[in-house]
Amino acid sequence: MMPLLAAVFLTGQAVYALGRVDAGSTIDRVKVAAWVAWALALLALLATGGGIFRGREIRKLMDDESTRANRNQAYAVGFWLAMGTTITIYGLTAFDTIAPRESLHLIVTIAVAGALVTFGYRERRDHLGG
Amino acid sequence: MAEGLGNRMREERNARGLTQVALAEQIGVSRKTINTVENGVFIPSTTLALKIARAFGRSVDDVFYLTGEE
Repeated sequence: MMPLLAAVFLTGQAVYALGRVDAGSTIDRVKVAAWVAWALALLALLATGGGIFRGREIRKLMDDESTRANRNQAYAVGFWLAMGTTITIYGLTAFDTIAPRESLHLIVTIAVAGALVTFGYRERRDHLGG
Repeated sequence: MAEGLGNRMREERNARGLTQVALAEQIGVSRKTINTVENGVFIPSTTLALKIARAFGRSVDDVFYLTGEE
């Protein structure tokens, strides 16, 4: 589920790759707001593991020790991807100008998607194993 | 040689006719956690190791051991 959401999230970034979004028009503002909402929703999903509408006992089971370990690993991957992207962008500014919004967009997109894919992959592997 | 954590969970579980699901329910964790610990994918906390050992009526030392010791 989470890798799928990450794929949808990344696919949605084509909007930014194909055309400049400068948040000057109402449509662009909506696009920016939608992306922020998406990113926040995915971060909330990663942090909670989902199951908001399920009972307390189920949520406790869904967030047991191995899940927390997988989440910590996903956070680490997200952190290093954010660092790598930031350093890369910083290096690229020697050759071209990159707008702050575009930079932040790239960093957050790559870090969130990487963390989600990592978490989803590890959870799936653990569910299927044995 | 690097040290790792081995376990005899599968043997203990099979000896008692327990499935992973039954053991997970007894301890209060998910089957996934039992599966990952049993296969050595995940190293359990002391608390979980104690719960697993208690579920088998064994000590932690009986169920878990260090591998690759010189």
